[in-house]
Amino acid sequence: MIRRAGTSPPPWRPVRWFAPAIGIVTFLALWEGFVRWRDIRPFVLTAPTDIVRYLGRAPGDFAEASLLTARHALVGFVVALVASIGLGALLSTSRFLERAVQPVLVLVQVAPFVAYISSIVLWLGYGDPPVHFVTAFVCVPAFTFATVAGMRSADPSSRELLASVDTPRWEVMWRLRLPSAMPSLFTTARYNTGLALIAAYLVEGSNFADAGLGAIGKRFAANNIGDGLWATVFCMVVLGTVALGLIGLFERWLLHWHASQRSLA
Amino acid sequence: MSVDVTLHGVAKSFGSLPVVQPIDLDVAPGTFVSLVGPSGCGKSTLLRLVAGLEQVSAGTVTIGGASPAELRAHKRLAVVPQQPGLLPWRTVAENARLLLEVNRRHSPTRHPDPAELLDEVGLTEFLDAYPHELSGGMRQRVALVRGFSLGAPLVLMDEPFAALDEITRAEMRELLARMLDRHPATVLFVTHSMAEAAYLSDRVLVMSPRPTAVVADVAIGFPRPRRDALEDTPEFAAVCAELRHHLHGAMR
Ligand SMILES: Nc1ncnc2c1ncn2[C@@H]1O[C@H](COP(=O)(O)OP(=O)(O)OP(=O)(O)O)[C@@H](O)[C@H]1O
Ligand SMILES: [Mg+2]
Repeated sequence: MIRRAGTSPPPWRPVRWFAPAIGIVTFLALWEGFVRWRDIRPFVLTAPTDIVRYLGRAPGDFAEASLLTARHALVGFVVALVASIGLGALLSTSRFLERAVQPVLVLVQVAPFVAYISSIVLWLGYGDPPVHFVTAFVCVPAFTFATVAGMRSADPSSRELLASVDTPRWEVMWRLRLPSAMPSLFTTARYNTGLALIAAYLVEGSNFADAGLGAIGKRFAANNIGDGLWATVFCMVVLGTVALGLIGLFERWLLHWHASQRSLA
Repeated sequence: MSVDVTLHGVAKSFGSLPVVQPIDLDVAPGTFVSLVGPSGCGKSTLLRLVAGLEQVSAGTVTIGGASPAELRAHKRLAVVPQQPGLLPWRTVAENARLLLEVNRRHSPTRHPDPAELLDEVGLTEFLDAYPHELSGGMRQRVALVRGFSLGAPLVLMDEPFAALDEITRAEMRELLARMLDRHPATVLFVTHSMAEAAYLSDRVLVMSPRPTAVVADVAIGFPRPRRDALEDTPEFAAVCAELRHHLHGAMR
């Protein structure tokens, strides 16, 4: 389907890295200054330097927990993506089906999943299964909406062209509708990355396991260890940033043909 | 390799809106027929009826003794739409092959080589380019190649050059005429340009406003191959004037 990037890579521009770095450093400095100046308790807000110091006390443990949380989120995210493409493809073929399923998806999307996590844990038991389930479950609605909208947006001229040689439905799906849904799927992937990580973190904290950032974060919270709790938050932010970076790379590779990937010049 | 096309009492309404009045039409194999008429009269609809992409309300369409559905199923009908409809994630070469690759089981055993066709229209250097890297004229040339890639005996073109500038249009017209010399087919061609119709056609059908009917059927007898100089002859101007006269008559 896609063989090579058609355009040469964008020129190296320091401002691409410099500007965000300045933004982050300024933010951290303000944060640090505010905590020191008002002498805020670590549990409420821990200064960045204290977070880093705490991470340094057991870097291996935090790295291990981060990897587990990343794996939980990734599995849920990918399962949701695959399931949503299948579901979306089905819904895009029938307005009736779409109308019937849409309200259910909206329910899933707006229901506060924090409230039913313990029910899922009771149902699926401890360990990985409830984490994977909830993570995938909450990502499905947005991915499905993106699939349906993207597939419906397929260029009418191209659709008619394929119809003129009696192209079977599955082939129209595969060769035209799925690629047409890619831009909206990437946009949604960014949104769902955050959602998947948060869901993984929260379920880890509720499934009585002792691994994963959510589980150790919960333990720190129960024992009033503010630095530790904030250290898990820090790890989550790093995970999210890395994930968004990876999605950006995938997008440059798979969507090189799309207008969104061209420079404004 | 071309077929005859017969319309017998073909009519179309969208709900209560009649768009095409019953039309009888016989097109001999290898004829280039242009349809001209006021905007919104139903030219595109008529073309889609011939392709079977729209169901007729009455009448029958027969193409070489077969129905449009049979023709489509055997990939013996090619469509060149007004928007080139290139897939942006496919290169020029891949877009040119698209119709051969889909529904592959029914691809014709003998067909022109898309790479050679691309060469004929001067796109050899752009085989690996993506549509967004091409000009509008180049994109329409790819669409033309894609249309001819099946070696189909019937080609339906709906204002394929409408989005192009005057100079590019003239080039495309030339190109189309030359491609048809090499790959003969019956062609139904919708256009708003009298000069384009007169230059390319064996027959021009002038259509009335909606609900449309054929109000004039003008034979164009200029010898082939036709060359650019034809356009500067008084005979050519006379034919264009005649077509315009019929069109104005239809619109009153
Ligand atoms: N699917 C449809 N449903 C309802 N009405 C339609 C449909 N397709 C076309 N029409 C109507 O049929 C009429 C003819 O449309 P058509 O596209 O065939 O015109 P046309 O002659 O090709 O016009 P143009 O030269 O502007 O392309 C229009 O009034 C249009 O509104
Ligand atoms: Mg039209």
